[in-house]
Amino acid sequence: MSRPVSSSDEHVQRAITQAWPGALDAETFDALFRECGADVHAYVVSLLGDRTAAEDVMALAFERLYRSRARLDQRRGTPRAWLFAIARNAALDELRRRRRQPRYELEDELTADRDCGEGLEHVERRATVRDALAALPLREREVVLLKFHGQLSNSELARALGISESNAGTRLHRALARLHEGCLQAERQEEIA
Amino acid sequence: MKVIPFPGGSSAPPDDAWLAELEAALNGDGEGVVADSWRELRRDVRALAQPMDPEFERQLRARIAEHGARSAHKQSHRRSGWLRPPSRLGAAAGIAAVGAVIVAVVIVSHWRVAMGPIEALPHQPAVSPNAGRAESFDHLGASAPRGAIRAAKGAAAESGASASAGVASNAPASSGVTTPPGRVQQLAASITLAATPNDVQETADRVSRLAVSDGGFVQSSHVNVGQGTGEANLDLSLPSAKLGVALVSLGQLAPVRAESQSLQDITNTYDAARQRLADVTAERQALLHALARASTEGQIDSLRERLSQNRGAIARAKSAFQTVSQHASTAEVEVTVLGDAHAGSEGLTLHRGFHDAVRVLVVTLVILLIAAAILVPLTLLIVALAIAARALRRYRCERVLDAR
Repeated sequence: MSRPVSSSDEHVQRAITQAWPGALDAETFDALFRECGADVHAYVVSLLGDRTAAEDVMALAFERLYRSRARLDQRRGTPRAWLFAIARNAALDELRRRRRQPRYELEDELTADRDCGEGLEHVERRATVRDALAALPLREREVVLLKFHGQLSNSELARALGISESNAGTRLHRALARLHEGCLQAERQEEIA
Repeated sequence: MKVIPFPGGSSAPPDDAWLAELEAALNGDGEGVVADSWRELRRDVRALAQPMDPEFERQLRARIAEHGARSAHKQSHRRSGWLRPPSRLGAAAGIAAVGAVIVAVVIVSHWRVAMGPIEALPHQPAVSPNAGRAESFDHLGASAPRGAIRAAKGAAAESGASASAGVASNAPASSGVTTPPGRVQQLAASITLAATPNDVQETADRVSRLAVSDGGFVQSSHVNVGQGTGEANLDLSLPSAKLGVALVSLGQLAPVRAESQSLQDITNTYDAARQRLADVTAERQALLHALARASTEGQIDSLRERLSQNRGAIARAKSAFQTVSQHASTAEVEVTVLGDAHAGSEGLTLHRGFHDAVRVLVVTLVILLIAAAILVPLTLLIVALAIAARALRRYRCERVLDAR
């Protein structure tokens, strides 16, 4: 999902993925959007299950990041991690405000997969993962989405969740274990069917 | 369907190796079936999300570019740090600090008005509620002034209490003395000023004028000016209520070499004189009643004789009472002006400058201390409230995840 950064400026690329260069300048901010925009959108839409709400949250997240650019702190990780932490908070605010049950809009993707000529097994596996993910409690689903969409390290994940690193590891392990069990269960049901 | 391996079992708590293995697999560093499966799972999860709407992406990028252009414009017009308007937090902190300093200044000003000038503080008499007790406070190591010694003798004679000095009065607020309720006290003070020999006469004249302007008078004055030397001794009688102000004014005439204040409790003497006056007045009334009822010549003559004696007793009692009242309402101040060839330069530059500098520092320190006493608890309270609010907001936010 990530898109390559077209800018040849290594300083910008390094700023996004490694450490703060200080306050975000316009060029870095634009590159950050190109680098992380799609992932943030995927994370938020997966968490909220609503494309319109996800777009609002995403715009809000970038707005908040822009406003807080002067308070950027190297100790808080990379801009990517900072952006995902902001997006998470904005998404939770949206969930709390709207009290809307998230739902998954995966039919288009599955159809697209088939259209792309991928094998049936590939499509079935994704459907299994989708069902298992949807069956997860929201708290655990969120960890999986943040880890895979955000591509955050465990320490960055802990900062985004506002918990200790060991606690984040435990929560991630539990979520993946349940996802694993969900996939196994779905597979067994398929075999029975 | 391909089953995703889950190393370490699904129920065991994760160890560092498991987390490191997962991290390496997702970073592309890990190899093997398990690592491939993790990466495949991530691909599957990421593929489930809808892609961003191209129109929305275009609009958002346009907004970001617009922000960037605005930011660059602001950057080019950015003023230097100290000219830049402060942030909301900085402005609030600045306002709080200024407010605390203002409050501190008000408190210090009120305190100075109520307690008298700062320089009088070190020698404020500490008044004891016990009757008949007197205390003296020598300042700058000066020898005990003559007035103080006289007062001590008077105190011993009056009430028998131990006293090293004495002048009394109903405690004036401006003199820094607090009088217990129902007590009558006599105040005295002594001050030694340093002036150049040529200024001794002038200083003595200014002391006299000051005494008159404060509602008092000069009881005695002796000025001796010679070749390169001079000394003046003045005994002033001032209203007790103005003693503190008068001492401050005297201290402004010339550098102060020594200063002392003392008080003597004369409540017993005052009460005895008043009672004596009341007694003889009552006796006169009784004699007049008896005279009105007298029927014989002998009784009338005897009563008139006693009334004559009573008039003398009343006069003496009134005189004694007025004397005591006079002691209570006036303060004796002994002023000594010493002629010193170095007094002028010393007072104006080194000694006075140092003294004034110390006073400024002390007042500044007091103001800062009071400001800190206001700001520190206020800051702690605000920080605690901010932490609590943040925790509450976070809790409410996180609770959404459990509600689903």
